[in-house]
Amino acid sequence: MDEITLQIDGREVKAEEGKTILDMAKSLGIDIPTLCYHPALSPFGACRLCSVEIISRGRSRIVTSCNYPVEEGLVVNTKSPDVIELRKMLVELMLARCPNVKIIQDLAKEYGVEKPRFKLEDEKCILCGLCTRICDERIGVSAINFIGRGVDRKVETPFQGTLDIDLDVCLCCGACASVCPTDAIELEDTTNKKPIPILSEYNVGLESRAPVYIPFPQAVPNVPVIDREKCVHFVTGECKICEEFCEPNAIDFEQEDEIIEVEVGNIIVATGFNAFDPSPIYQYGYGRLDNVVTSLEFERMVNSAGPTEGEILLKDGSHPKSIAIIHCVGSRDEKYHEYCSRVCCMYSMKLAHLIKEHSEAEVYELYIDIRSFGKGFEEFYNRVLDEGTIFIRGRPAEITDIAETPEEEGKLIVQFEDTLIGRQRRLPVDMIILSVALEAQPDAEAVARLFNISRSADGFFLEKHPKLDPVATMTDGIFVAGCCQGPKDIPDTVAQASAAAAEVLAMISKGRVEVEAATAVINEKICSGCQICKLVCSFSAVDYDEEKKVCRVNEALCKGCGACVGGCPSDAINLKHYTNEQIVAQMEGMLV
Amino acid sequence: MARINSNTELEELRQEILSKRDQNKPRIAVCAGTGCLASGAAKVIAALKEEIKKQGLNADVDIKETGCPGFCERGPIMVIYPEEICYLQVKPDDIPEIISETIKERKVIDRLLYTDPTTGEKVTHESEIPFYKNQKRLLIGTNINIDPKSIEDYLAIGGYRALAKALFDMTPEQVLEEVKRANLRGRGGGGFPAAKKWETTRNVPREPKYVIVNADEGDPGAFMDRAVLEGNPHSVLEGLVISAYTIGSHEGFIYVRQEYPLAVENVDIAIKQAEEYGFLGQNILGSGFDFIVNVHRGAGAFVSGESSALMTAIEGKVGEPRPKYIRTAVSGIWERPSNLNNVETLANVPLIINNGAEWFTSIGTEGSKGTKIFSLVGKVNNTGLVEVPMGMSLREIIYNIGGGIPGDKKFKAVQTGGPSGGVIPEQYLDTPVDFDELTKLGSMMGSGGMIVMDEDTCVVDVARYFVDFLCDESCGKCIPCREGLKHMREVLNNIVEGKGNEGDIELLEELSRLMTKASLCALGTSAANPVSTTIRYFGDEYQAHIKESKCPALVCKELVSYYIEPSKCQACMICLRNCPVEAISGGKNQIHVIDQAKCIKCGVCFDACPTRFGAVIKISGEPVPASLPEKERSLVRGKK
Ligand SMILES: Cc1cc2nc3c(=O)[nH]c(=O)nc-3n(C[C@H](O)[C@H](O)[C@H](O)COP(=O)(O)O)c2cc1C
Ligand code: SF4
Ligand code: SF4
Ligand code: FES
Repeated sequence: MDEITLQIDGREVKAEEGKTILDMAKSLGIDIPTLCYHPALSPFGACRLCSVEIISRGRSRIVTSCNYPVEEGLVVNTKSPDVIELRKMLVELMLARCPNVKIIQDLAKEYGVEKPRFKLEDEKCILCGLCTRICDERIGVSAINFIGRGVDRKVETPFQGTLDIDLDVCLCCGACASVCPTDAIELEDTTNKKPIPILSEYNVGLESRAPVYIPFPQAVPNVPVIDREKCVHFVTGECKICEEFCEPNAIDFEQEDEIIEVEVGNIIVATGFNAFDPSPIYQYGYGRLDNVVTSLEFERMVNSAGPTEGEILLKDGSHPKSIAIIHCVGSRDEKYHEYCSRVCCMYSMKLAHLIKEHSEAEVYELYIDIRSFGKGFEEFYNRVLDEGTIFIRGRPAEITDIAETPEEEGKLIVQFEDTLIGRQRRLPVDMIILSVALEAQPDAEAVARLFNISRSADGFFLEKHPKLDPVATMTDGIFVAGCCQGPKDIPDTVAQASAAAAEVLAMISKGRVEVEAATAVINEKICSGCQICKLVCSFSAVDYDEEKKVCRVNEALCKGCGACVGGCPSDAINLKHYTNEQIVAQMEGMLV
Repeated sequence: MARINSNTELEELRQEILSKRDQNKPRIAVCAGTGCLASGAAKVIAALKEEIKKQGLNADVDIKETGCPGFCERGPIMVIYPEEICYLQVKPDDIPEIISETIKERKVIDRLLYTDPTTGEKVTHESEIPFYKNQKRLLIGTNINIDPKSIEDYLAIGGYRALAKALFDMTPEQVLEEVKRANLRGRGGGGFPAAKKWETTRNVPREPKYVIVNADEGDPGAFMDRAVLEGNPHSVLEGLVISAYTIGSHEGFIYVRQEYPLAVENVDIAIKQAEEYGFLGQNILGSGFDFIVNVHRGAGAFVSGESSALMTAIEGKVGEPRPKYIRTAVSGIWERPSNLNNVETLANVPLIINNGAEWFTSIGTEGSKGTKIFSLVGKVNNTGLVEVPMGMSLREIIYNIGGGIPGDKKFKAVQTGGPSGGVIPEQYLDTPVDFDELTKLGSMMGSGGMIVMDEDTCVVDVARYFVDFLCDESCGKCIPCREGLKHMREVLNNIVEGKGNEGDIELLEELSRLMTKASLCALGTSAANPVSTTIRYFGDEYQAHIKESKCPALVCKELVSYYIEPSKCQACMICLRNCPVEAISGGKNQIHVIDQAKCIKCGVCFDACPTRFGAVIKISGEPVPASLPEKERSLVRGKK
């Protein structure tokens, strides 16, 4: 391609054909103000702020640099007195239109415009057309555009939502709002659609996230991912702005999920727990009443890296003056989980402690029993008591926002029986934290089947023996650790995980597996492939060979119990050293 | 109709058409243009047909419904041939008389003729009416002879001869050369040499190329393009095909505003006919040249007439000017080379080809050749469309053709060039009207709007009116135009309301400079003209408004008070009865007085007071004299 030489502010620069004056000025680090320019969008030429003076073919004139193509021998002055005067007046006009818009205020400061000589308005939109162009050019739907001419121009959806036509082209992707330099777009007002935010999984829905995002600050690997379901490119085939802007060219829209197969000798299942969803407990109002939150949500809120940067806020943005923490939500409750989740008492107290640390709020703990059984736990309980947290014994019957007295107006009221004094009480507070139970993962059943391990009645994975072999399972080489085996706190989890690791290491360092001497063997000639043996084997030692249509015993897993031998209808199985012939021969020997 | 396949066939057809026409047969031409239709031409035509049928004259009289000859103010217009008797303001009731007197008896009905306002003389023939006599009507003069829905009428006056000449006797280069030598400049506003633009488009090595007719005509009060397109659509088509041949384009568009239904209708018919006859479509006149035309109806915004906006609209997007430094002649519709010309520009092309560049350049001034159609309106006796040679002075147009200012008023100024043209004061009345002279005065030719203002016009108010129009008609895309106009309007509103401040004039001038320099399209760069020219020529009137709260023309409502001159009041009680807010007190033989606190300045009393008394006067810039004390109000008649 031919190179073009031009001069900007006295400096010579070589440019490719098709570049604009603005492109080249930027490459020289020369600053030209712009309002309607965006590198991902076609030039609009509306703000005129990027005007510069050029001398082209001997004639001097003012042009806009964002769309003026470079020419051989062009001489550009980006700061001639005419240009500065012109920009200053443009800024003055814009300041009159949008006196409260930050970027305009900044420009006014830069150009020394103090008070516009014109009648002031209070518009937010500067009519730069970035939103309409991104919607048209990149998203490809053109759901918003300018309507009205002249001084009545504004950004709208077609027919302004007044006609009974549902054009339904807006994807509510929010690109317009994100590109708007003045925050003039309230997505719902502008698009006449209810935006559905993509909720951050990590911040338990307290915050929304973009379709391209880093899952959480410590994620490994610490790189962004694209949410295919939400990314506009995967919906319409358009956009691809990220690809254009990613300098290392790391965006690959073709990338697919992969299944990686690794061969291992031992597996530790540590799939964790699921936090109980309290919405089925209708009387607690979760999801129905504002400011009833789960302990996990509150945990994110109070975290200094969380969505509110550690500030405890009510829905309306104010600070709560009183907070009640309800224990045992979903635990010790026959309707949900009969077991004690073991960690709720202590984490509830931790939350109380954090609240006291972060705010002035009154804290109430409503408990059934306090179970502070661990090392240092009782001491912590005492400390929280000393800090002024009020402990009340009683399980709430209901949480309501229907006030009965003036003091209860605008509050959440906890109705419960105080079992220490044996009386019904109502406790009005601003916020309620539900200390939810730990329960087995919803897919625990599938995982158990995959690894051939068992589950106890509460749904958690079953260990081989509670005392003698607490991290092993009935399947050799498969171990469990952490809350997938049952609720436990962090120290217990770490201890269990260490144990599992030790067991695995012991196996690995031995380098071999000792097998039982007496294992079952299947006579493939007789086997009919009925798979009854597979069904009766408690140790998952029988495999079915799809090709030969026979069953086979994995000797490393077989414990020689003989269940399959008895179960085989065609007498195809024998136990080594205990074959029928051997036993019959022994019996005969004894009888003789 | 079989397609015409050669020049000879065309001439044969023409002879056939002419031979069937008897030049001596009575022919009644009635203007059926939009203007005359509005004043009742349809009823006149219906009555005419009815009467002719009733009198059994069907075979003896031809009726022709024609396009606009320009004198819309006196419509419906009727011209009776072969005598060329011109009747104005004809009503259906006049028809029986016209038939029995003029058609049967060959007698002229004086009552319907044009009366010279000064001499009182009656004028019988169309060409002798001063309004027409002083024009040079190359383009609209034939309108009265043509039924725009009849291609035969166009052929009868030599139509499509230029096309045949171009196709068969000239190469595209020769046509280009001819138009270049004729120095035909664009009539759409810019005055850009047509041949230069054609050449640019012709030379761009990209196909396809497009040619476009700009019939958007968004200037308020302008209707020259409408008259041409409605009255003689084939002349525009012929010019368009010739331009396409020259440029090497095979597809064209006619962008016509939706508000011109009759123009759309006539153009549609003309295209169909031209296709049937072989003037459009494949292998035109057997020459091997192909060309098709599409009609695009514009939604009618002033700014859509701007070239890049118009092309964007044809592409199906919002008609907004686009920010490109590449000319549309190089990259226009769908980024293809596209030549855009105004209706009138193209209508001139067949004339140039037929008569030659020498003939064309013999008309007009050094830099501006040929004629120009103006829409002459405002405070002038004869309003309508006037076509004059370039270089005629404003005075000649306004006084000789327009018949001067009505009601003994003084001329004050004339605004030319449409809403963003400038205002020209009396001292420049002798300026020859052409592209360059008007620009020198800070105004422009524009598309040919001409608004005459008399002494009762306030120029500040006029500037405000145009700025207000442009506030709504600017597309609103760029800051200088949109925000600039908005604040200009604000400042001007303040001034006309007496709330002007020291420094307002400078602020207006600063805004004008910014808009002219920084706007995206020509609407914005010319939008300040009405303001800057009025400041330039009538700066003292601005000063009077601002410094003395005085509107010298006594127009600006907020600055005017109504007062009854006690010595002139005849206590007739007319004003008192008409005042809508009962601000006037008085009675029989009681001199009337206006309660200034109650007066809403509607001006009803001013208009109601009999002119022979002239007792109600307007006062501006000075205090209203105190009312007469109650007891001095009785009127002593005879004493005055
Ligand atoms: C705001 C604006 C409105 C215009 N409106 C018209 C119009 O209504 N008709 C027209 O022929 N040209 C109009 N023009 C001029 C066109 O942009 C263009 O110059 C013209 O059509 C070219 O044709 P010409 O060279 O034959 O004059 C307008 C220009 C501007 C800036
Ligand atoms: S809403 Fe924002 S992005 Fe859209 S035009 Fe206005 S300022 Fe620009
Ligand atoms: S100058 Fe006016 S009409 Fe032209 S682009 Fe700017 S705002 Fe639109
Ligand atoms: S950035 Fe160039 S006109 Fe706005």
